Amino acid sequence: MSDLISTQDLTKRFDGLVAVNQVNFSLQEGQVAGIIGPNGSGKTTLFNLLSGFFPPSAGRITFCGKDITKIPPHKRVGMGMARTFQLVSVFDSLTVWENLVLSTIRFKRDQQSVQSFFFAPARKRIVVDDCLKSLELVGLEKKASARTSELSYGEKRMLEIAIGLSLKPRVLLLDEPLSGLSDHEIGGVLDLIHRVKKNFALVIIEHKISKIVSVVKKLSVMNEGKILCEGDPEQVLRDPAVRECYWGKEEENCST
Amino acid sequence: MIHTIVYGFTIGAILYFIAIGLSLTFGMMRVINFAHTLTYTLGVYMLVSLGALFKGYFVIAAMIAVVVVIPISYLIERCIIRRLYGESLDHTFIATFAIALIGVDTIKWIWGVLPYPLSDPIGEYLTIGGLTLPIYRIVIVMIAILLFIGLEFFFRKSIVGKIVVAALEDRDGVGCLGIDVDHYFSIVFMMGSALAALGGVLYAPISSVHPYMGLSILLLCFAVVIVGGMGNLRGTFVSALALGMIMAVTARYWSQGAETMVFIVMAIVLIFRPIDI
Repeated sequence: MSDLISTQDLTKRFDGLVAVNQVNFSLQEGQVAGIIGPNGSGKTTLFNLLSGFFPPSAGRITFCGKDITKIPPHKRVGMGMARTFQLVSVFDSLTVWENLVLSTIRFKRDQQSVQSFFFAPARKRIVVDDCLKSLELVGLEKKASARTSELSYGEKRMLEIAIGLSLKPRVLLLDEPLSGLSDHEIGGVLDLIHRVKKNFALVIIEHKISKIVSVVKKLSVMNEGKILCEGDPEQVLRDPAVRECYWGKEEENCST
Repeated sequence: MIHTIVYGFTIGAILYFIAIGLSLTFGMMRVINFAHTLTYTLGVYMLVSLGALFKGYFVIAAMIAVVVVIPISYLIERCIIRRLYGESLDHTFIATFAIALIGVDTIKWIWGVLPYPLSDPIGEYLTIGGLTLPIYRIVIVMIAILLFIGLEFFFRKSIVGKIVVAALEDRDGVGCLGIDVDHYFSIVFMMGSALAALGGVLYAPISSVHPYMGLSILLLCFAVVIVGGMGNLRGTFVSALALGMIMAVTARYWSQGAETMVFIVMAIVLIFRPIDI
């Protein structure tokens, strides 16, 4: 199977610091991959490079066989690459509905089916249906008219994922989707991931390794900007080098 | 005192026309845009030239002057401002200030340094209960109120407005929706520049027209933006009218201190609500 995303010697330097160092990462169509690693290991920087928020210092990124290294973030979204952020990113000044409409209507506009200046097209059947479907998927349909600032953190996280889904991605990059959530909310997000993962490829950065092991088919461990080890999650987690750099620390954390 | 209040609202309205573009530019793209003075002053000088052409037709000359500024502002945004996105504030300050200075020299080269006298295009007065008020000033205030209502409608009801509101909050987040923020910023930039030109065109007949007129009013507009909140559209409206009124009332009792008082208010606001840049 051909790679959906692949990076070749992808590198990002911030002055003297090499945050991502010659990373060769690949993801196949429909694959669910996890990226773990200690704080500062370069996981989020890798996401920022993949999604175009940082230009790489060296190396290249291909998506669907096309070199996208110099393509701006919004065009990557148009090509089918959506992402969420470590700190949940939704628009507090808009309502839940408006947050979703902006992503949905834009998608339609790219398809040239909605060309209008005013917000009225948000009432068009196709947009309404898409938004409702996304809201129902994350269980926020009753809060559609609420201002986003009134949502709990967990609900905002769900809305952010719903926005990502409404962009109809070929790959969705989830940056620590479980961080800051209660056990109940974590269950909700994991259940959602299980329900949608067959529709597109997923890459999940997560600290809570035990939570995502059952979800991902491929696990990559990053340390000091490099991919230390990758492959089948069970095998990766048994790797002595991985246990030394990461797993051991988590055990320490758990015992405290 | 009624005269002072009308004068205050007039100044406030003019400040609002100019400040709205500054506020959006900073709020959305984090660019402190001194080049805004150029579009303001250019609008006025276009009015001077077109006024001679369309004698007695102030509204037509004013409208053309505002429209002419739009492609110029597009070029400024496309060629210079767009390169400053993500740059440090001092870089944007130096670059946009350079544009403003080049603009002033170009205006001096084309129109000369001597002030141009323009007269009140309406020249009529409204008498209510023994009070005589210039209609032109009342018209300026009315236009400002209509503009505020229009902008509220634009930002609440239009797709572009919603995208701008979202981008004011989180520019990268809007990019994640597949939206080209720079494209929408171009629209907002041109809109802000046209409003600055409108402010200049409306203010010119009741003030002095000279090449540095933009630079002198710009600092007052920055005070409006800081007091109203960067990117806060309603705050900018309230702040512009309030500071305009403070200027007018201060000028009534202490003419030299009118502008000083604006900056004192700005300093007090900064003490209690420091800006996050």
